[in-house]
Amino acid sequence: MRIRIRRKRQKIQKFFLFTSTMYLCFLLFAAVGSSYLAPHSPTTQNLNQRLLPPFTEGNILGTDDLGRDIWSRIVHGTRSLLLIGTLSVGIALAGGLVMGILAGAIGGIVDSFIMLLMDGILSFPTVLLAITVVSVLGYGLVQVTVALGIVFIPVFARLVRAETISRLTEGYVESSRALGTPFPKILLRHVLPNMMPDLIAQSTVTFALVVVIEASLSFLGLGTQPPEPSWGLMLKESRNFLYQAPWMAVFPGLALAATVFSFNYLGDYLSEQLNPQRW
Amino acid sequence: MKAMKLFVPMGLILLIIPTLGFPRGAKEEKPIRMALSGNPDTLDPQKTAGTLTFQVTKSIYDTLVEPDEKGNLVPALAEGWEFQDEGRRILFRLRKGVTFHDGTPFTSKDVAITLKRIQDKNTGSPHAAEYSQIERIDTPDPSTVILQLSSPSAPLLATLASGWSAILPAHLIESGHDFGSKPVGSGPFRFKSWVRDNQILLEKNPSYWMPGKPKVVGVEFRIITERSIQVQGLLSGQLDVIDMYDAIDLPLLQKNPNVKVEKVLTSLVMVLAMNTSKPPLSDLRVRQAINFAIQKQEVLDVAYGGGVPVGTFMDASDPYYADYTSFYPYNPEKAKNLLKDAGVGTDRTLEMVLPQNFEPHVRAGQIYQEMLQKVGLSVKIRLVDWSTWISDVYRKANYDLTVIGHTGKLDPDSRLVNYGTDKTYVRWVHPEVASLITKARSIVNPNERKALYHRVLEIMAKEVPFVYVGTSYRYVGMRKTLEGFRIQPKLDAYDFRYVEVR
Repeated sequence: MRIRIRRKRQKIQKFFLFTSTMYLCFLLFAAVGSSYLAPHSPTTQNLNQRLLPPFTEGNILGTDDLGRDIWSRIVHGTRSLLLIGTLSVGIALAGGLVMGILAGAIGGIVDSFIMLLMDGILSFPTVLLAITVVSVLGYGLVQVTVALGIVFIPVFARLVRAETISRLTEGYVESSRALGTPFPKILLRHVLPNMMPDLIAQSTVTFALVVVIEASLSFLGLGTQPPEPSWGLMLKESRNFLYQAPWMAVFPGLALAATVFSFNYLGDYLSEQLNPQRW
Repeated sequence: MKAMKLFVPMGLILLIIPTLGFPRGAKEEKPIRMALSGNPDTLDPQKTAGTLTFQVTKSIYDTLVEPDEKGNLVPALAEGWEFQDEGRRILFRLRKGVTFHDGTPFTSKDVAITLKRIQDKNTGSPHAAEYSQIERIDTPDPSTVILQLSSPSAPLLATLASGWSAILPAHLIESGHDFGSKPVGSGPFRFKSWVRDNQILLEKNPSYWMPGKPKVVGVEFRIITERSIQVQGLLSGQLDVIDMYDAIDLPLLQKNPNVKVEKVLTSLVMVLAMNTSKPPLSDLRVRQAINFAIQKQEVLDVAYGGGVPVGTFMDASDPYYADYTSFYPYNPEKAKNLLKDAGVGTDRTLEMVLPQNFEPHVRAGQIYQEMLQKVGLSVKIRLVDWSTWISDVYRKANYDLTVIGHTGKLDPDSRLVNYGTDKTYVRWVHPEVASLITKARSIVNPNERKALYHRVLEIMAKEVPFVYVGTSYRYVGMRKTLEGFRIQPKLDAYDFRYVEVR
């Protein structure tokens, strides 16, 4: 009995895993080949075809208030989405690595100072901090990317610091040091590879968060500037037409929800699979 | 247990009896429930410039004169008035037998003390400057007020008809009464209660000076900031009147058999403003090209929910309006040629700054961008929040193009003041226009004034510091049984005096 439930659960898990991966692959494909997938330009208006419902000929998901094709806008929106996601996770990862290793490896006053800074950043609500950074740097894609990168540095820094400290105290590292291996080499050989699984899992989860916050920033008018397509912006524009044209909100919303779910699921799965304690 | 058995039918009977007392279908004496789009900062008409305040206070206070629906000034607390000494003196004959809500009679003393209160710096009225011409206020008897002016001022009468000239009882002003939260006036409704961010309750003033008015027992303002919730409230019968600037929900309202929608012209002039101090927009040909490139009716319909194109800097319903829409009809070929003559191509990107909290302007901006791109201009959009728009665009003119709506007041001077000088955000300098506007301010004869303003509007229509897109409609959704609801578009004020439920 128990085994059967377990098998069933595994099956469901596999199914979700498969769908999530497929969906993310599709997003990647959409971002690279948007012009192949989208029948219309995402910004071209057609004022005679405003608010067409879904499944109209030529506009499979309908049109928005300015007669732009919603499907094309969603597909083109993946580009900025993935770009912002990848770059800001990249920034957060790089920043977090440097800070974390410095703090973990040097210790003492450096450690206290860096961690105080990181805790300071962490104590702000994420969206609020992102808004603050954006208002200082100015509006636009680049600024949003940098802002989100900065906001998530502490998450990685804490992880890296903890890993660094625990690795450096392990027996094999200590013996390697006793044999005279230079410190940078120890970091590269022993410390970094060991924290990779955690970092990968953390990155995926962060990616999902970044996507949501980017959408919120666009929703607030701080992110992607119109008429460029962005899911958050599409949601913002749909707000006034909720009763008349719910499809304007439903499709970008669904796409966003599916993206977040997929990244989260994959992140959970990876952290479970890559956890060395399993073996 | 037995007791319980008795209780249930007894309870039921007790519940039924009161409902039997009231015959069904009879006229329900309930206040008119109207949605208000935000919480007024105060109900003191002399301490704010907020529209929300005047939307409420119009029902609580009276003014000496007031605008009728067309914008002409008609008697209110003053039965009549005359200009004397070439416009340097205005004499008001006051209505007799008017009382304030607290029972004190209305006299010339109330007018004098109220006007002094507005002029007093300690009151901090944002409109104080409009009264600066008043040098002396004489009250020869309780029903006569004479205003002595330093120079003839035509806009003053319109100021006295605006909500911020509401007359307050003198004895309460002198005792330092808090009008902001406990307003007392002579208007058609008495203030009853105000639950901040929730509702404002007014009840009928039975001794109002207009015979037989108001006809309803009261007004209940419900403060609802989200427009879609207002719409749902009207549809579900929880609201009687809602005021909409947008036509988006129109189809939804028209489907409902219990609701009707009335269309009223606003006092807005929707514009695409151009910074004429910056090249290439300093070149008249470029501005003309931009005017030729815009399909105005289309923008009005899609972005602003319908409207009337205007062609100059005055709203379509104003008594001083004149039609110059024939100057720049839609003509993309002409636009392209003018741009070619001016040597402007896609190499120079114009930045269009949009106030992001005004969705219609953002929508309009995207349509302009597309229309301008079609004639070969490249335009980039930047969204900013309202305070940035005010400081960067409106004050510092740090922009190329922007989209906004200009509200009008009762007097044309308030819309046109400073135009032709470099003090406006379009930085359009034209000495003739500036001097005409200054001159028109001191002329009391309406026809002479009109001639001057028509000259101003014609020059502005030709020199196009803006694309004058048009005056939009506003839509008032209400119960089908409701009659007589009025809006004064220039003051944005709601008038419930004529409202009745059939």
